[in-house]
Amino acid sequence: MANAFTALYVAYTIVWAGVFVYLLYLFMRQRAINKNIEVLKQELSKHGK
Amino acid sequence: MDLKLGKYWAWFAGISAALMLITVLLAVYYAPVAASSVRTANELLPSIEGSTITVAGFVADREIMNPIRTPEDPPVTAITLADFSDYRRYLDAVVSGGLEGEWWTIEPITVRGPYLPLGTNVSATGEVVATHDSSSFMLSCDSSDDVVELSSPGEAGIMTSPISQKIFYFHMPSAWVSYVGFFLTLVFGVMYLRTRDRRYDRVAASSAELGVLFATIAIATGPVWAKEEWGVYWRWDDTKLVTTFVMWLVYIGYLMLRAAVVDHNVRARMSAVYGILGFVTMPMSLLSSRIAPLIRSSHPQVIASSSGGLSMEAGITIGIAVVAFTFLFITMLIKRVEIEESEDELEDLKRRVGGED
Repeated sequence: MANAFTALYVAYTIVWAGVFVYLLYLFMRQRAINKNIEVLKQELSKHGK
Repeated sequence: MDLKLGKYWAWFAGISAALMLITVLLAVYYAPVAASSVRTANELLPSIEGSTITVAGFVADREIMNPIRTPEDPPVTAITLADFSDYRRYLDAVVSGGLEGEWWTIEPITVRGPYLPLGTNVSATGEVVATHDSSSFMLSCDSSDDVVELSSPGEAGIMTSPISQKIFYFHMPSAWVSYVGFFLTLVFGVMYLRTRDRRYDRVAASSAELGVLFATIAIATGPVWAKEEWGVYWRWDDTKLVTTFVMWLVYIGYLMLRAAVVDHNVRARMSAVYGILGFVTMPMSLLSSRIAPLIRSSHPQVIASSSGGLSMEAGITIGIAVVAFTFLFITMLIKRVEIEESEDELEDLKRRVGGED
């Protein structure tokens, strides 16, 4: 059987990698959306709307 | 409905980070495994000697201990047995006996051949009889001549590995918040169908995505534990594992459905209905280990087990872990709902810009 410590480290890595990668994904997604919103707002203001 | 929780996001994030840190410290340095899972053979024997127990399990490890043997010297195979009526009573067992090329016939499963293949299911019912060596005991099987000798190895006794069991402090709360996420998807799906308010749809979609995230973590960490404790990563005959996997697939389908439908209203309506129908998989997964052994599952029944419980330290740790993961879920949900709102705003802007062209 696998070493118990190895199993523990693997499991903890999965948990924290999952949480932090998802958090990073959320923040990157938010930033990209905000950028697009800014661009579109500028586009609309150019057209006097 | 307006959650109005956005302004508290930093607070939620701070609290969940602090609780997570406490959980990690407790899990790594403080909490032992479940109290009943550190019993040694000496502790276990007085309580079960003379009683009839059923052990069942599967061949997790195979070791021919006497490869050079005569026909009178029967082969020996080391297997791992789990008592399904009391999950935590895991036994590293040595099964010996029978003639070469012939193995026990243990009801209800017949195992024959020179080797017990890995993963073979084995179960036996019989009376526990202490031997001269208190570190082991005999289990007399129903079949008159069959005797399974169970011996406990090492100081850890008969139970699960204390180290790998610490996975449980993160695996179980992950599963818990995934259930919470899917439940919120149901609730907010129903609320959307009643009111057609898109804010409900945003919360339903966000909680489903988070539910899938945490279910993925639970499903990924579970096999690591299982490999250490059961000897295999996955068991397709374990109801808990299979129903949880099906639940995970169903909610991945939910996310795929949302990604495939472009129209806002159609997407919200279809996914609300899907979320309500798909929720049936949640109680199936949650309850499957509770009604074992009516159905076959060797997955631990963590809370409200009739056959024991957690030690105080383990109980504190798992309690804090559950609260920590719940706060983490709320923190992520707030951020995720904000993103949904931003996406809706972006789509509205795109429509306005497109309409002008």
